[in-house]
Amino acid sequence: MRLSLDQVERELARLWDAERQAGASRVGLMTLVALVSEPELLDRAQRVVADVASVHPSRTIVAVWKPGTPPAITGDVGIHRPREGGAACGDAITIEAIGEAREWIPGNAERLSLPDLPVCVWWVGDLPDFDDLFDRMVVGADVVIVNSQEMDLRDLEKLSSIAMRSQRRYALADLTWIRLRWLQDLVARFFDDDAGRAWVPKVQRVTIEYSPRPGESDATSTRAGLLFGWIANALGLRGDGAEWKRGEGWSEAKLGEVVVRFEQHLRPNVRPGGIVRLAMECPGAHFQIERLEDPQTFRWSRNLPGVPTPPHVMHVQSVDESTLLVRCLEHPARDALFETSLHVASRIVRPVAPRLSVQPART
Amino acid sequence: MTTENPFRVGLQSERAPSPCVFVIFGASGDLARRKLLPALYNLAVSRLLPAGMSIVGFALTEIGEDEFRRSMHDAVAEFSRRKPIDESVWQDFASRLHYVAGRFEDPANFAKLRDKLEAIDQVNGTRGNRLYYLAIPPSVFRTVNDNLAQAGLVADPTDRMRFTRIIVEKPFGRDLASGDALNADLHRVFAEGQIFRIDHYLGKETVQNLVALRFGNAIWEPIWNRNHIDHVQITVAEDIGVEGRGRFYEEAGTTRDIVQNHLLQLLMVVAMEPPVAFTADEVRDEKVKVLRALQPIRGQDVARLTVRGQYGPGNHAGKPVAGYRQEPSVSPQSIVETFVAMRVEVDNWRLAGVPIYIRAGKRLTKRITEISVHFKRVPHVLLSQQGPVEPDVLAIRIQPDEGIGLRFVAKVPGPTMTLRPVTMDFRYGATFGGSGPEAYERLILDAMLGDPTLFARADEVSAAWRFITPIHEAWARQPAPEMPNYAAGTWGPEAATELIERDGRSWRRL
Repeated sequence: MRLSLDQVERELARLWDAERQAGASRVGLMTLVALVSEPELLDRAQRVVADVASVHPSRTIVAVWKPGTPPAITGDVGIHRPREGGAACGDAITIEAIGEAREWIPGNAERLSLPDLPVCVWWVGDLPDFDDLFDRMVVGADVVIVNSQEMDLRDLEKLSSIAMRSQRRYALADLTWIRLRWLQDLVARFFDDDAGRAWVPKVQRVTIEYSPRPGESDATSTRAGLLFGWIANALGLRGDGAEWKRGEGWSEAKLGEVVVRFEQHLRPNVRPGGIVRLAMECPGAHFQIERLEDPQTFRWSRNLPGVPTPPHVMHVQSVDESTLLVRCLEHPARDALFETSLHVASRIVRPVAPRLSVQPART
Repeated sequence: MTTENPFRVGLQSERAPSPCVFVIFGASGDLARRKLLPALYNLAVSRLLPAGMSIVGFALTEIGEDEFRRSMHDAVAEFSRRKPIDESVWQDFASRLHYVAGRFEDPANFAKLRDKLEAIDQVNGTRGNRLYYLAIPPSVFRTVNDNLAQAGLVADPTDRMRFTRIIVEKPFGRDLASGDALNADLHRVFAEGQIFRIDHYLGKETVQNLVALRFGNAIWEPIWNRNHIDHVQITVAEDIGVEGRGRFYEEAGTTRDIVQNHLLQLLMVVAMEPPVAFTADEVRDEKVKVLRALQPIRGQDVARLTVRGQYGPGNHAGKPVAGYRQEPSVSPQSIVETFVAMRVEVDNWRLAGVPIYIRAGKRLTKRITEISVHFKRVPHVLLSQQGPVEPDVLAIRIQPDEGIGLRFVAKVPGPTMTLRPVTMDFRYGATFGGSGPEAYERLILDAMLGDPTLFARADEVSAAWRFITPIHEAWARQPAPEMPNYAAGTWGPEAATELIERDGRSWRRL
């Protein structure tokens, strides 16, 4: 049932009255606003925010827009419940804007946000190059969440610029970065002990193999680029002046003494963007994490002269978008390492990433 | 080299311990099967075990490594919080499980253990790092420790290249003298910084959250003192009986089993001052101060300020259950307490004069561990037309259904100013969903990392015994109350109700 937006609160109160009689209590930790850039992503966004609400009881506002006239904005409300059943755990609001009413979304989302609680804005899908709606939405947000995996290589520069523009007013978070955390931890383990750490300055070659998206033609994927941005930062490489070479399904960049090679490695059972192998080589030492035949199983290995380290096989649970969002919201704060890695990655790939178009003059 | 790992800088990830060999003495016992192996397996599933980390079981049972692995597989399948077993993780985990059979008294077995550990070092790069877990009776601690030392299996505490740590399970003695003797025994071989005395209560999320509640919020500190708190109640109630541990319970009783460790740990966290930092020694310094400030209960005061009880036959969940004296391995004339209640006071600037009522027992009405802080009534009854206004209560539920509740008064809607207590509840499960790691997972990981913050220090154990031992001594001198003195399935003896009602207060309804 479509409601006018001034009916939303009343309808939610009515729904909660019934829940209370069943013993549920209304708890709220935040308002999560999902901006759905393409209507076909609506179902996905609604499913994900419902899962998030079952872990972080929240008011969720999913906003979607369609072309048309006359401009109008309506709402639909419901109550979140855990997928496995159980007590109500949040308010579910969907607002739909028609035509120019898209411009009304920020004001109405703000009006519907829970008072005195954080507001997290999740941009679902690819980011447009220049979009006033995005800029207006992030003004009142505490956290802005994107997924660089859904973007092209040039978007690293765009995200880098958004992070710089945030001027610490909000935290920019990337679900792809959250997805990389376990891999970063495994890379860091190579160098946790003195024996491993001694090899950090000697790293000469880094190889990242990834499963490409269908038709991917960029020099590397955003995920692989971001991962290397982090590695480069840890190795003390600033990222400027990379010299690139490209071939069919591979590319190499030279940064000072370090060569990074990105290689497409199509694995039908690995989701597009998934890292298949990461290797770091020094003269006389080798560090590697590789995905085994079971796509969720990885082998961690390290060959250092005189320091026996057995390979370590580990199963890494597949993480869905809801879980990534939940993890992101567990620490809804600015992640300086992400921002730095993003800036470094953006500088490294700049020579091979299609440039952003020039912003059209405002009329 | 001590430079920082540049790949860890700024990384939001779990802490990573150095590779080590985890040796479990008493590996065929209940603790290893029910808690330790499942905890280690869950750490492996969470990818928190370092590469090369190996586990060696040491026990009397003559079995081979394959049989040990099979037996541990069954234990993990039965007791792990994650079910079913992830076989790909298990295979890797099992490949690092080893076993040494032998008597703890025979030094030759420790030479065998040393050879095994050195072989593991060669293959797995564990670099001489050792973490020993004594899942054995305290009577064998000394033998094991001496044999470890003689076999050269204890690194110097100042050795920066490798570490040796030892985890010790309670009971840490049975009175002040034996507790101190046990500490002295440990210190003959290990430095205090190498000893991790485990009290699994401290690994519970809610206990850590109590620290977060007190010191992470500005609103409590100004009122967390004698000016605003009327009294505190701490309850550790179990609805089960001694569950086949009759022999142990005959030696221990509730005071040694629960009060001296778990309950006093909770009391310390409630009453401690804010530490300068959340580091091991700063936190433990503050906790020990609380124990030192506990008003001693001695002589005639023991009868006035303590109550002991023992359950008789009764019912649990509608089914008849036996009394304590009818439990296996329990004397039919036993006067061992299965229930204790006390009125204690902490003589410090913050809480002087604030009574803290504690109770713990078996076969009580329900299983619940809760701390409740009862604030003072408003000074003047201004609003209610129905007599005194109920005071506010902050309740911290440790188990089950972990959470925090605040009871305060609100106006009942209507034309008159009628007030009623209402409760605002916060449930960890409902708010954060899912379950956190088990206490043993957290604590084993901390020990691997060398972080003793959540472990008891020698002076802490000693101070706890210094408080408890005079009570035991007085009980031994005084005639015991008629036992059993409460029926299974009730809230304990009548004397416990009188203990608190004498002060014009009552136990909180749980």
